[in-house]
Amino acid sequence: MEKTKKIKVGLFHFLIFLILFFNNQSVGVEPNEVLKNNKLEKVAREISKNIRCMVCQNQSIDDSNAPLAKDLRILIREKLMEGKNPDQIYKFLTDRYGDFILLKPAFKLNTLALWLSPFLFFIIGIFIIFKQNLMAKKKN
Amino acid sequence: MKKKISILPVFLFLSILSVFFYLLLIERNPSEIPSQLINKEIPNFKTNYLLSEKEFISTKVFKKEVMLINFFATWCKPCRDEHDFIKKLAYNKKIKIVGINYKDSSKKTINWLKELGNPYNAVIEDKKGKIAIDLGVYGIPETFIVDANGIIIYRHVGPINNKIYKKIVLITNNLK
Repeated sequence: MEKTKKIKVGLFHFLIFLILFFNNQSVGVEPNEVLKNNKLEKVAREISKNIRCMVCQNQSIDDSNAPLAKDLRILIREKLMEGKNPDQIYKFLTDRYGDFILLKPAFKLNTLALWLSPFLFFIIGIFIIFKQNLMAKKKN
Repeated sequence: MKKKISILPVFLFLSILSVFFYLLLIERNPSEIPSQLINKEIPNFKTNYLLSEKEFISTKVFKKEVMLINFFATWCKPCRDEHDFIKKLAYNKKIKIVGINYKDSSKKTINWLKELGNPYNAVIEDKKGKIAIDLGVYGIPETFIVDANGIIIYRHVGPINNKIYKKIVLITNNLK
């Protein structure tokens, strides 16, 4: 009796966990911002997922409900309606706010260390393991 | 041989620690974002004046002398706090200042300026925040120094305090 109750409670908690886990995709986009053109709206969503909200600094403008994020979402949609392509929009934004506005840092000369250091440390790690293995073998 | 290996991690740890300490001690604000527009020409824009019917055309106003651009709003408390410094810059230092009223009601702004004084040479409206985006503004108050060639020399995010006031005076003096 006790056991089945425990299992039931456990299952209930797990269910709540699942609901919360799959329900955490907050969206800042408001219904009146959405473009009628589905294709362009998709592109706009894709771009705004990559653009940092400069006010909150750790959210994309797609997630954020800060006023500036809303302005930028609308701006992106206006530019798309004008026929601008995503690259032109990214350039427009980085010209004004710098690379920081991109959530994913650009692969540039000054970010080379950022992108390549994980691989470097990986190689160093392998080298250390290899060397220690060799030393252990020698001792034996 | 064994001793050599154990010294290396300690040395590494201490050097990383000293880097962190250095970053703690020097004055820096990690949430402040470097401006992309420094040493670039101020973007062109048109809008309307708050106090007259005329149209404000940026190319006709800038590129003549050293000017300050100050984004403000009546709903912004730090803007009220820095207003005394704006007045000091305008009255004591004779610096021309263009005030950009960001996403605000015209009526409230007129009353606000009546209450606190209007040190601006021009107050222009940015109702939709488009001019702000053109200048890479992300949190008002923000202040820019534009030189006589229309090049942005300095930008400050946040309210002007005594230290920033001195800095602005120094930079504008050097530009004259």
